[in-house]
Amino acid sequence: MSSFMPEILAPAGSLDKLKVAVLYGANAVYVGGQKFGLRTAAENFTTDELREGVIFAHARGAKVYVVLNSFLHDKDLTELPEFVEFLDKIKVDAVIVSDLGVVRTVRKHSSIDVHVSTQASTLNVEAAKLWKNMGATRIVLGREVSVKEAGKIKREAGIEIEMFIHGSMCMAYSGNCVISNFTQGRDSNRGGCAHSCRFEYSLDMGLDTKEKRKAYFMSSKDLEGIRVLPEFIKEEIDSLKIEGRMKSHLYAGTMSKVYSEALNYYKDHGDFLSEKLLSWEEELGKVSHRAYTEASLVEPAGADSIFNERENNTDNEWQMVGTVVEANAKSGIIIEVRNAFNQGDYIEVIPFEGAAFALNTQEMMDLSLAPVIRTRPSTLVRLPYQANVTVHNLVRARGTK
Amino acid sequence: MKYVSFATSIHDLGILKEENHDEVILGHRDFSRFGKLDDLQFIELAAQAKKLGMRVVFEWDILMIENVFAHLITCIEKFQGHFDVLRVQDPGALEWSLKNTQVPVQFIAENANRNLEALNGWCEYIGDRLDRLVLSIELSRNTLAEFVSTLKVPCELLGFGRILLFYTPRNLLSGLNGGEKFRFNDEISALGESEESPHKGFPIVENKHGTFMFHIKEFCLLEFRQELANLGLSHFRIDLRWEGLNFIKDLDNLKEIYPQDLMRGFFLVNKTDVLFPKLKNSRLQKREGNYLGEVIEAEKSKHLAILVKHTEGIRPGQNIKILHPKGEEFEVKIHWLKDSSLTEVEHIGQNQLALIPYVGGVWVKSQLFIQ
Repeated sequence: MSSFMPEILAPAGSLDKLKVAVLYGANAVYVGGQKFGLRTAAENFTTDELREGVIFAHARGAKVYVVLNSFLHDKDLTELPEFVEFLDKIKVDAVIVSDLGVVRTVRKHSSIDVHVSTQASTLNVEAAKLWKNMGATRIVLGREVSVKEAGKIKREAGIEIEMFIHGSMCMAYSGNCVISNFTQGRDSNRGGCAHSCRFEYSLDMGLDTKEKRKAYFMSSKDLEGIRVLPEFIKEEIDSLKIEGRMKSHLYAGTMSKVYSEALNYYKDHGDFLSEKLLSWEEELGKVSHRAYTEASLVEPAGADSIFNERENNTDNEWQMVGTVVEANAKSGIIIEVRNAFNQGDYIEVIPFEGAAFALNTQEMMDLSLAPVIRTRPSTLVRLPYQANVTVHNLVRARGTK
Repeated sequence: MKYVSFATSIHDLGILKEENHDEVILGHRDFSRFGKLDDLQFIELAAQAKKLGMRVVFEWDILMIENVFAHLITCIEKFQGHFDVLRVQDPGALEWSLKNTQVPVQFIAENANRNLEALNGWCEYIGDRLDRLVLSIELSRNTLAEFVSTLKVPCELLGFGRILLFYTPRNLLSGLNGGEKFRFNDEISALGESEESPHKGFPIVENKHGTFMFHIKEFCLLEFRQELANLGLSHFRIDLRWEGLNFIKDLDNLKEIYPQDLMRGFFLVNKTDVLFPKLKNSRLQKREGNYLGEVIEAEKSKHLAILVKHTEGIRPGQNIKILHPKGEEFEVKIHWLKDSSLTEVEHIGQNQLALIPYVGGVWVKSQLFIQ
């Protein structure tokens, strides 16, 4: 049995999501400050929140990586040293960068580890060696690389390797798509991606028929690599990354929990029982997603990796109804409601470990102790106390579609 | 400033010679994104170019996963001696070229590399083997001027040709190609349009290296040639691989006779980041310093529920400012403070739920600050 275990690296679009990801089992999280990252529309972290996030994560044995993976221009670089020095001071574990100018700036102004972003599309041994020579300590490989190739890159380049295991995927080589730049006036490599690859296109393929083919031909299915976990372990891939800083608390928590549980199970048993795999896949299926694919983790992605469907096809999904903001015998369980539910509805709490379980919705009250028949989003609801519920637990219900 | 272009035939070489080009880029179909030449054709064309006194540039611009890379470096040996310069984009190809060849290297820095620190980094790393940097067409004229004047190496820019928008190794068209068999060295092309974009007729090409999409208009800086020369740009690239090299004979009138629409891209100004502040509510981002917390419930005539974020917590008697998501500000004093069990208390700590008196007009997501 291999003693090697990769880290599970989860997305955290906000301080709350960082806490959720760490509490649900992520070994590391990646976050963005207010500048220099690719998720301009995400809430992102203030400097105070970064400091609190690092303290919170480190106290629980988790690492924090900060993304600086925008293609920075000179005017951006002038502001970077001060931020990098701050990150060094608060003991951020690494920064994720995609540009040589940023690598050099970080090296000059800090001793923080440098991870080369997937935006740099590092795909082979020699490229990894080059980035290592530049001072990188880890490579986040392009999503076109197989796990087997990744193992070879790690061994021959002698550098830590990180790979995506789950989430949405660019169809293009990352960093090699500028559709938004030229059609929407938004720099996709500085956080302005307009997701033009998800549009439906009419294609004139020069065939005899005048009819154009309509297809979502540039849209990729979402990556799911749970069945490839043994390969990741065998090849000793250092870090398994979950995409999605823009995604929900439910996503951050569920992904962190499922993948960390799967790894821990493997650590204890040395294999994956098919029954367990099915249950993990079922959990992954409960979170909003496109159809899943293993993309290029085993073989180069084929035609079946294209998501030729309209977005928001969310059959069989569960939705997050809220987060537990307080839970004690005196106050009961107080949930910050995100999606409405009714008295008597089946809702369940996802504990940090173990199987989800039902909450009692027969006796719902508002904060002023008045009975509630139907909750409303952006309100608080009070449920009877259950001992195994705790703050930051996520609460979900089956979607109504 | 010199012109540089591509050739795929002896005829093309003749045209370039007539136009006084002293260098030609040759694309082998295994190494170049849009290369057409097989082994023999490459070697013959390279020999002919040398006879005509032209420097031969071997274009190796595909991006390569390890398996492809490992195969290609076993193939490139047969071309050694037939070219004078290697032209690469994949950092792996760059690294390999520096260690395993002696020829000068042209580095395609069209992706990323929007700052001098990066470009200087490549210059230092490649050292005296660096023949030229190929810069991005997304650089505006002011940035180009700064870069070209600062960098100590020759710089090249696309001056005329297709704008590549998208490059994937996946085969996106062949599955839609009416069931026609896709042969390995073939190319499939299509024109795409989307109801969600005002642009119609994106050229799309699928070949053995994947699928590529181009802008509906081609890039043209012909009218800025003198300005670019004055800046110190060393090479102006003309890419006529789709419409034919004959057009190169009449550059002064090319804009008028060329069959495709043309654009200057971001040459005059690049404002592709100006929309970013509008992508989120900046009023919700001011969570620094005296930030106290966020309203997570506003129950009319009863209370505001706050998730306390300040390290020192919240106390009754404090004067606070409430910033509404729409910008309106409210200044109030906290007359009473209750915990979630509705007990009046003197202090509630960080990350706890606190209730304070309701303030008319305040919504959920309003931000609180200590005054």
